[in-house]
Amino acid sequence: MSGFLKILRAGPLVTIQDMGRIGNLRYGIAASGPMVRSAFRAAGAMLERAGEAGIEFTPTGIEFSVDTTTSAGFCGGDFKLIVNGKPALWNAAYALAPGDRISIAPGNWGNYGYVRFEHELDVPPLLGSRSTNSTVGLGGFDGRPLLAGDRIPFGAPGSPSPPKGDILTEPQSLPIRVIWGLHADLFPTAMRRAFLEATFRVSKRLDRMGVRLDGGDFFREARILSLVSDAVVPGDIQILGDGTPIVLMRDHQPTGGYPRIATVISADMDRFAQLRPGTPVKFEPVTLAHALAAEGGNR
Amino acid sequence: MDAPLPLPMLMPLGDRAFLIRFGTSLSEAANRAAITFARRLDLRTPEGVEEIDPNLVSVLVRYDPARVVPEKLAGELRLLLSGTDDAQSSTPRQHRIEVHFGGEDGPDLDSVAQVLNLTPAEFVAAHNASVLRVLTTGFAPGFVYCGFHPEALHLPRRAEIHTRVPPGSVLFAAGQTAITATPIPTGWHVIGRTDFANFVPDRDPPTRLREGDEISFVRAGS
Repeated sequence: MSGFLKILRAGPLVTIQDMGRIGNLRYGIAASGPMVRSAFRAAGAMLERAGEAGIEFTPTGIEFSVDTTTSAGFCGGDFKLIVNGKPALWNAAYALAPGDRISIAPGNWGNYGYVRFEHELDVPPLLGSRSTNSTVGLGGFDGRPLLAGDRIPFGAPGSPSPPKGDILTEPQSLPIRVIWGLHADLFPTAMRRAFLEATFRVSKRLDRMGVRLDGGDFFREARILSLVSDAVVPGDIQILGDGTPIVLMRDHQPTGGYPRIATVISADMDRFAQLRPGTPVKFEPVTLAHALAAEGGNR
Repeated sequence: MDAPLPLPMLMPLGDRAFLIRFGTSLSEAANRAAITFARRLDLRTPEGVEEIDPNLVSVLVRYDPARVVPEKLAGELRLLLSGTDDAQSSTPRQHRIEVHFGGEDGPDLDSVAQVLNLTPAEFVAAHNASVLRVLTTGFAPGFVYCGFHPEALHLPRRAEIHTRVPPGSVLFAAGQTAITATPIPTGWHVIGRTDFANFVPDRDPPTRLREGDEISFVRAGS
């Protein structure tokens, strides 16, 4: 196939993602992949065939056109979809014809939305994945977020019967379940209790690497120093030197030297990723068994 | 001499990984134990394991909970921990890495030497005197930590961060020498630069150096 998709407008941090570049932490590379995996899957599941790679966008949206015949599935937070100037249903799939123009504008909730296509996005796979890790400049489209003027070629039709995903309704902010973390035992008991009693707020400082939370001032006295750097997984909650908790997300640094009090469970990562700045967040500890039972279809 | 190692600790890191930790501070013995265990896992990877990632004193094992029950995997990891086979007995791979020390390539060389009461030439000689081991990779693509230098060469990180050092930067702090492979910010002292590129993303594996390899640093052109 020789067609392409042309980006007409792109907000910040619009990237190409697939399910991620797993297995490369030992080379210093986090897996990346969609911030909201269930929505990414759902966008593909709306299509009869779906390419593995799709586009992740942020609340300011995206505008693009195609010069070929394909289908597109849209899912994620709340967005306003406009197809050729006419409002269209969000969380739905559409057949696209040459010259069709898609515009996506912000809605009422959520940080991430997805569009996936019947055809593969033909960017070169790198270490087994087309995901962009823009922090280190790897993968996707030249290792960077998409910009107006970019032309992304379409490749072959994708696989039939893409895996199912869940369409998330407006996320309940409270609570986010966690498993106690690598360094939980180094925090004084009172501080661990304060962590569970506190209501944090999602700060404006969030991106694909991490989400900083406001309201962690009581951690300032933690004084947990000279930790050996250790592997990080998505969901790890690091406490920075000034007491700021940061929840590490898909483009996390592969290792970290700050103390980690807890790890957000996989089942709650998508919901957490969609919380906008200002949203209150509480944490609730659960067992590993509970976390696995909660994950259900969210794998 | 290092104190005897505590028993390795196996702990969940979230709901898709275990961390097996061989110490809570960086030591030769803990680092060697982590590397040996990672090799053993590479050779006999249990069902359901998606990723094995050796760190300075630990090994991360990521698994797919749809393919293995975590309790079962934990049991298998404990069995492997108590194994006595010798995955470590193979001869380490050896590399000679040429470094352009000082000047524009190593803007902190002079200050490092001064703090250690050495001339820059004496520092370079002392730095290159011992064969180092790759302790781990990670932090950034292709970034490697090499250790350990003798106590006399230990000095802390810089107070100020270099906002961006180029790939191939040779860094020095905390008894170690590190090599960058991508542009990164760093609080380490930049003592030189090497043409050795440890990270080539379209190669598999993408890095040339591996934990446990032995490194001889030499002055470029010598």
